[in-house]
Amino acid sequence: MAEVLDYVQFVLAPQVVTGLAFGVAVILVAIGLTIIFGLLDVINMSHGEFYAFGAFAALALGWLGLPFWLLLILVPLAMLPVGYAVERMLIQRVFNRPDRHVTTLLLTFGLGLVLEDAFRLGFGPNPYRPDTPIPGAVELFGIFLPNYRLFLIVVGAVVIAAVALVVYRTRLGAMVRAAAFDRNMAASLGVPVAWVYAGAFAFGISLAGFAGVLLAPIYSVFPTMGRDFILMAFTVVIVGGMGSIAGAVVAGLFLTQVQAIAALYISPVWTDPIVFGIMVVMLMVRPQGLFGRLGHA
Amino acid sequence: MPDALTVAARANHVLVGVLILAGLAFAAIGAAQNDTFYLRLATEALIFGGLALSVDILLGYTGLLSLGQALYFGLGAYLSALVLKAVPSFWLALAAGLGAGVVLGLVGGIIAIRVRGVYFALITFGLAQVVAKVVYNTRSLGASDGLLGVPIINIDLGLASVSSASPAGFFLVVLAVIIALYAVSAYILDTPFGRLLIALRANDRRVPFLGYRTASLRLSSFVFAAVIATVSGTLYPMLRGFVSPELLFFSTSGNAVITVLLGGVGTLMGALYGSVLLTVLRSLIGTWTEHHLMIIGLLFMGAVIFLPNGLMGLVRPAVERLLMRKARP
Amino acid sequence: MVKAFQTSALAALFAAAAVTGVRAADPIRIGVVTPLSGTYAGIGQQVRWGLDLAVKEVNAAGGIMGRPIELLYEDEEANPAVAVQKAEKLFEVAKVDFLTGTVSSGSTLAVGQLAERAGKLIATTVSFADSITGDRCSPNVFRVNARAGQQSAALAVWLSKEKPQAKVFYLGPDYEMGRSTVAAFKASAEKVGASTVGEVFAPLDAKDYTQYFGQVRAARPQVLYTSVAGNDTVRLLSQLQEFGLLNNLSLVGASGTVTSQNIAAIGKAAEGFVTGVGYSTEINSPENKKFVDAFKAAYKAEPDLYGADSYGLIYAYKAAVEKAKSTETDKVREALRGLKWMTPQGEKTIRAGDHQAIQAMYVVRITNGQFKIGGEVKGDDAIGPDTCTRF
Repeated sequence: MAEVLDYVQFVLAPQVVTGLAFGVAVILVAIGLTIIFGLLDVINMSHGEFYAFGAFAALALGWLGLPFWLLLILVPLAMLPVGYAVERMLIQRVFNRPDRHVTTLLLTFGLGLVLEDAFRLGFGPNPYRPDTPIPGAVELFGIFLPNYRLFLIVVGAVVIAAVALVVYRTRLGAMVRAAAFDRNMAASLGVPVAWVYAGAFAFGISLAGFAGVLLAPIYSVFPTMGRDFILMAFTVVIVGGMGSIAGAVVAGLFLTQVQAIAALYISPVWTDPIVFGIMVVMLMVRPQGLFGRLGHA
Repeated sequence: MPDALTVAARANHVLVGVLILAGLAFAAIGAAQNDTFYLRLATEALIFGGLALSVDILLGYTGLLSLGQALYFGLGAYLSALVLKAVPSFWLALAAGLGAGVVLGLVGGIIAIRVRGVYFALITFGLAQVVAKVVYNTRSLGASDGLLGVPIINIDLGLASVSSASPAGFFLVVLAVIIALYAVSAYILDTPFGRLLIALRANDRRVPFLGYRTASLRLSSFVFAAVIATVSGTLYPMLRGFVSPELLFFSTSGNAVITVLLGGVGTLMGALYGSVLLTVLRSLIGTWTEHHLMIIGLLFMGAVIFLPNGLMGLVRPAVERLLMRKARP
Repeated sequence: MVKAFQTSALAALFAAAAVTGVRAADPIRIGVVTPLSGTYAGIGQQVRWGLDLAVKEVNAAGGIMGRPIELLYEDEEANPAVAVQKAEKLFEVAKVDFLTGTVSSGSTLAVGQLAERAGKLIATTVSFADSITGDRCSPNVFRVNARAGQQSAALAVWLSKEKPQAKVFYLGPDYEMGRSTVAAFKASAEKVGASTVGEVFAPLDAKDYTQYFGQVRAARPQVLYTSVAGNDTVRLLSQLQEFGLLNNLSLVGASGTVTSQNIAAIGKAAEGFVTGVGYSTEINSPENKKFVDAFKAAYKAEPDLYGADSYGLIYAYKAAVEKAKSTETDKVREALRGLKWMTPQGEKTIRAGDHQAIQAMYVVRITNGQFKIGGEVKGDDAIGPDTCTRF
């Protein structure tokens, strides 16, 4: 009995908690992706690079002396106009083509390549790591918890809750959901659809950037960092349901916990295939994911 | 008046002819100059053109974007390397690739064809990643170093024998194989089966209403594309003498997609011309700057936005007009 | 097409020679196929810096037998298929006399095979897989940097002196190189009395190593050996520190785990890290001081083992060509075998039996962000047996 308790306290519980921190990060990235798909029907292959964009922007502004707390708010805000510009100038050009899914996927794929090289051009190939803003740790019931990770979980959860609140409980959110459900109808009801689209894209990548700023102290910053999350984020979006925020949250928590706990029992290299396997099974059994699409729930 | 698709097919014939003639001329000049590099570079362009061809069959005709076609190409290359190291026979390696393509295509297809669109893309992507990782960690396949020491083989063509080390000779052999793959693809896509695939791309929800089963259509197309990719892959170790896991990575699949887009989706010829174009571009840009990724990325984005029909979109209408003018007496 | 290129290249060359007024001495061309983009770009940058610096110095002193050296760079994108293509371009079109720069062992082996078929020589200054001068050795491939076996030998000596009978936990990246480095060190460590209390292989590019910390804690090791590199090291070490695991743990690792490229990002977590490596900026010799000062002045960055070994290669090649009085492959090969030459790390010898450089290995401990030397193992002691049977 004591052994089981020991195991739970020293191995399982810490694993679950650190899986939580990772899960919150993945959810933040995945929510942006799912909003962009749910609303615009656009698969943003450069989403990982916008996550990196946030981290690099925070790095650069941090060198200018701005404190971390300010960056956490400033960088995502600064990324809104960037996302808006990308949506209006690039995505809108191919938006009305019949094979929109494929074309936007390819277009954003190209954009991702360009951004990654731009980071290398601007910052060099070597990694950077901003100092952890909240050093130290606490010990709860014998579980060792770095303060910053706790902060991450809390802030992440707050932001996710805020997003869900806005989308499901406010008028703005209702407009967004209406535009997702039926664009023309929403337009004829006076919803400024073009703005909503561009705004949604901007918001989505801004969330990714926020995640980038938040995670930089623990995952470090380097040009290819965008690739870190992308497969996991896409898997979360698919399993949760493209366009569903609730789905992203549930699937995000589920998949990261599966990965964390599986790592205890099998060679960690196989955790990716397991996650991928779950995605395949989901696609075969219930292609719309756990929660279906935004606006269609 | 011949229908649009047939005129397009005929325009393709003209373009194939041009490619073949250009290839022959290139080989002749290269051989005369004792050139090694440019001939081998062109051979490599053609081999990867075969991979691009398989991507085009899926994307341009069946409407399925595969982001993991390098899986079949890479496995074909590995199989070929293993076969050649045991028995240095060109035809055996090719046959092995053919067989493997069918088997792998069926396995991959059964998993992948249940879904469409972006889900299909992600499944093919994930499948390639997983298998690539397995190969990367398998010691008997050379692990991360790959397999070296694939011998130089003598290709017995009945009348004559060509060595895989001969730049011009092997270039011509590869040209012949790739053109053959193209010809088979073009023929099949011009049959009722092929027209059905095109219908799938146009509107796959209507096809069942016409009485056809989309699942078996898609599977056939997938297997066909897998075979094209695998056979192209078998040629790679003959050229370079080695295989490495990077042949299965996303960068290889991604390049094939870029190639098809730049060349022209749904034109088959676009895959081949696109591969030549991209190889030349990369070689030139790569020597000039190390930020070639950005330049290729920008070019690609430009092509997606401004040149959705790729190179063929510019060239083929001109050829078609020429043909139409000749058709009218 | 080919002819046009050649003619215009020749014309440009003549024009350039005429304009600069330099003796139109036919330069000695050295090709460099190195990753300039992608994950290994940082290493490629150090390689480039080291080579450029050496070439600048050699050319300023009159070149090799009166001929200036010209470096031609191509990006291999950390992909052996691309490396082979670019190497062939350099061999056949640019007609380089010699080639270097490959980083991953896959690229080195593949380019080495090409070099054999093309009748040219290559050298690596980075790849440390034992197989390159071991069971997969090639008569046309030389290595001037220390290989994995030499690195472990140095580290094992430190282990037996400082932490005898230690309990060691191994955490490596899950790919061939990572596993074999761990295996090599484990063998050396167990020979000097250490015991293994755990082994975990994490996927390459793993973001979060915290999932393995439960196992590490449970095993209660005194020493943690890791062979991760680059960004992975930044994450592993900073996360170890974040979770308070570094308090009672000695951290040791492979040569490439902590280098000048990632030490800034690792920060304080790297304090106390020990490794066996062939180079440190702290080596107290006049050659090294001169080298480090020149490097810092030119690039505003410190050299690491890749930069130093690449720098040393140019001087090795110079010595060999001067000894052979020719740049012909066979003659240079003969000259390189058994060559002794001076480098910032002291004198190195290229063993004729397997083309591997023998050099003193240093036990380096990171103190206040500096790579301080804690011990030295003589070249002959660290080198290990010659397992190359091809020639």
